[in-house]
Amino acid sequence: MNQNARLPVFVIVFSLATVIAYVVAVIYNYALFTYHPATGEFGLGVEKARDAPAMYWYGWIATSTITGAVAGLIACALPQGLTRRLPAALAWLAPLIATLVLGYLLRNFFLH
Amino acid sequence: MNPTYLLIIHGLVAVALLGAVTHQAISVWSAARKPAAASFVTRLRAVPATSYANAVVLLYLVSTFLGGWLYPAYRLNVRVVLEQLQMPAANGSFELKEHFAMLGLAMLPAYWYFWRASLEPAYARARVALTSLLAFFVWWNFLVGHILNNIRGFGS
Repeated sequence: MNQNARLPVFVIVFSLATVIAYVVAVIYNYALFTYHPATGEFGLGVEKARDAPAMYWYGWIATSTITGAVAGLIACALPQGLTRRLPAALAWLAPLIATLVLGYLLRNFFLH
Repeated sequence: MNPTYLLIIHGLVAVALLGAVTHQAISVWSAARKPAAASFVTRLRAVPATSYANAVVLLYLVSTFLGGWLYPAYRLNVRVVLEQLQMPAANGSFELKEHFAMLGLAMLPAYWYFWRASLEPAYARARVALTSLLAFFVWWNFLVGHILNNIRGFGS
């Protein structure tokens, strides 16, 4: 597969896989690392809050971005016949659905 | 850097991003073909949407980076107060803001590709959808950030 044919496969699969991985990471708290803002310390994986709140958002971003990049590279390595008809709509349908899922997950903030 | 200065820079970058992505979104939804001697609205619709893509990508990255830099200050100094003030909708709005920022990042390579690397007609729907979704995220994040700053700005 030439480079021109690989790029759309990578960007579509990256978007799809990153979004799915992000939603899963948020739901199950699969943060690659934890940041403790009060002390400025990082911890590998998910750590509980110490004296002040812990932040997982950066860790979720790392988890999902790495997952998306790996998935995109794997998709690029697949035979062209398997990926030629990959719908471009996946690149925007995944974030659209994720928007609705995340909104639903956070509904209790707005229903009080 | 002082969070207040960072917040001001973040806000200015966000304004530029808001303008760029809104112009592009208007253009893809209702492109006007004859801008000459036309009204303000017609000229707004007639902007070349393609030319905004690189600026949108760059501004989005910078804005998200600055937002991520500011986030610890928000987490320690603002969110706690919002919880004490029992303002769950404000907190929930920010939770969505952080998620939308990441969803936009995930879409960004595809957005760039369909605007800059391949302008094939077959991808026209993808361009409209990606631009619209990105515009929605940018507007949400801008308004929520603005409202939260009004509730409890840094330095207050």
